[in-house]
Amino acid sequence: MSTFSRRDILKMGVGAAAGLGFPAIIRAQQKELVILGIWPATGAFSDVGPILDRGMRMALEERDMKIQGRPVKYIVRDSATQAGAATRRVEEAVDGDGAKFVIGPWSSGVALAVSEVAKRKKVFHYFSGGTEDISGARCHRYSFQWAASPYTAAKTVVDNFMKANPKAKRWHLLVADYAFGWSVEKYIKEVGKTHGLEFVGADRHPLGEREFSNYVQKAAANKPDVVAMINFGLDAVSGAREIFNFGLTPKIPLIMCWSSGVEELVQLTPEIRDNIWVGSNFYYTADTPVAKNFVKNYQAKFGNPPGYAPSAAYGMTRMMLAGFDKAKSVEVQDVIRALEGIEVNDLVGRMRVDAKTHQTLRPFFFMRCKPKSAMKHPTDFADIIATGDTPLPAEYAACKDIGGF
Amino acid sequence: MLYALMGLGLSLITGVLNIPNFAHGALFALGAYLLVTTVNVVGNFWLALVLAPVGVALMGLAIEYAGVRRLYAAGHDYQLLFTFGLALIISEGIIVIWGPVGFSHLPPPILRGGLDLGFTFYPKYRLFVMAVAGLLVLATWLFLEKTRYGAIMRAGIENREMVSLLGIDIHWLFTVAFALGAYLAGIAGALTAPIRGINPNMGVDMLGIAFVVVALGGLGNLLGAIAAGLLIGVAQAIVAAYWIEASTAVIFAVMAAVLLVRPQGLFGIR
Repeated sequence: MSTFSRRDILKMGVGAAAGLGFPAIIRAQQKELVILGIWPATGAFSDVGPILDRGMRMALEERDMKIQGRPVKYIVRDSATQAGAATRRVEEAVDGDGAKFVIGPWSSGVALAVSEVAKRKKVFHYFSGGTEDISGARCHRYSFQWAASPYTAAKTVVDNFMKANPKAKRWHLLVADYAFGWSVEKYIKEVGKTHGLEFVGADRHPLGEREFSNYVQKAAANKPDVVAMINFGLDAVSGAREIFNFGLTPKIPLIMCWSSGVEELVQLTPEIRDNIWVGSNFYYTADTPVAKNFVKNYQAKFGNPPGYAPSAAYGMTRMMLAGFDKAKSVEVQDVIRALEGIEVNDLVGRMRVDAKTHQTLRPFFFMRCKPKSAMKHPTDFADIIATGDTPLPAEYAACKDIGGF
Repeated sequence: MLYALMGLGLSLITGVLNIPNFAHGALFALGAYLLVTTVNVVGNFWLALVLAPVGVALMGLAIEYAGVRRLYAAGHDYQLLFTFGLALIISEGIIVIWGPVGFSHLPPPILRGGLDLGFTFYPKYRLFVMAVAGLLVLATWLFLEKTRYGAIMRAGIENREMVSLLGIDIHWLFTVAFALGAYLAGIAGALTAPIRGINPNMGVDMLGIAFVVVALGGLGNLLGAIAAGLLIGVAQAIVAAYWIEASTAVIFAVMAAVLLVRPQGLFGIR
């Protein structure tokens, strides 16, 4: 005869009441897979936060918001482009909402801080940006980098620009003074050596700079053959506008070495874009089936072509989903193992994740803006004139040991 | 000169109405947007440059008449909340009407490109802005110093109760002062549009600088606002020539240095 103690009956009663009273919650907690998009809704880059969200959402919606039969709970938090705010919100989402997979944010400096949280909390993290540290000096098993290596970008930009302008040897650099700017500047100078470039000036400006007259005045005084900007978003737009106002462009070329493409170019008039050369991780005329489908759907939904921001969010989410597919698991470490070394034909073409560094090896785009007379429609900003995918040479690799879990 | 223009408008409102106008940056942005819209409608930059700030002044008039006026007796907390809320409403309104994505607007063809001044190379449009802003500051100064209405405004800054007791309609004085301050913010925004481009947040940076100018010049002191605007602009240009990375920080460094020595500002008495 089985006997139940008073304590057992009470336990069963509480369990039954909880199960009957809150079945939906219990089921949801067991099944939902919480994925966090940490995007800037305020502060610097707040203009791109909503479109980053669009890209990520589109990739998840292509899977009907389900992964391996489990419903996805996609949550978004504001990175505010501040390391403190972003890390606090990621920790809250991990501890409070149960997020195990994190994509974002949109600033290299902030991403490095978020990457540390991912390492400490043992959650999956994918980022796209210009810092080489995510897949370099501060690499670890939980963070991945989607954007091309700054070396790949610099090599693509300098090689192809010099091919078209072999006499433009005197370069003046305008560099955003944070992790992304330093990384790209280092390799622009390295690759520049092989072309015999002379860097007649290299001024650094703070993130969020809007008054570029002093910088441009100094650049003009150096009488360069070309001005190359290593900055991003509104900084790049403000810089390009001021360079035009000073009459430097279109007389001399301006290179936006690491641009968001559409998001920046749409803010400039065709006159300002004249003789601007653009390096970017994505351009919407990319000739791949995935890109064509994404661009078509994005334009149908939002009325304009996607730039680098929504494409990166879309691309990172697709890579993460490819990891889920290969792992046939929803456990963080299984997905990470599956992504290490994965090879796919995806948004920008052939893409491979380097297992040793977590760097996504992929093509980088180089475009030349079209003159107004050659534009077929208002968003026909540029032609892709080259792509490059030279990986970071081993001697520069700072990720010596990615470590364990 | 643009800093002086913004600071003068804000100082006028702060001095006469004794309220902190946190919507000043939003009115600056509105001036830029109205300029572009007016250019698109009338097809003439010069006419748009005249009309756009008048639109902002009318907006300022409506704000004072319908909103600020009711809060004079309520204290600074309410005024601060009102103008801060108003700034958000105007900024969001701009996004609703013109969209969240910024854009560029070219100067008129005659003012495009740069001029070689011998010692430096400078954009023609910036020289034009310096000249126009200088004339506007001078005109505002003459209006305040040489006209009867200007004298009433200055008296209103010194002692509004006394002005009221002399039989002058103080409410109308407040309305005109707010509209004039809004006009100065609007024309500063319109003039800035081809230089800095147009985006919904463009007023935020300028609001901070305008408050620095007002604090540096002395709260409500119009001559102080002009002098502080010029001082900051010159300091920024000099520092940029030798230490370009510090050209933004110098704005706040100058303010801190002056306020340490003269807490009431350059020309302030309170």
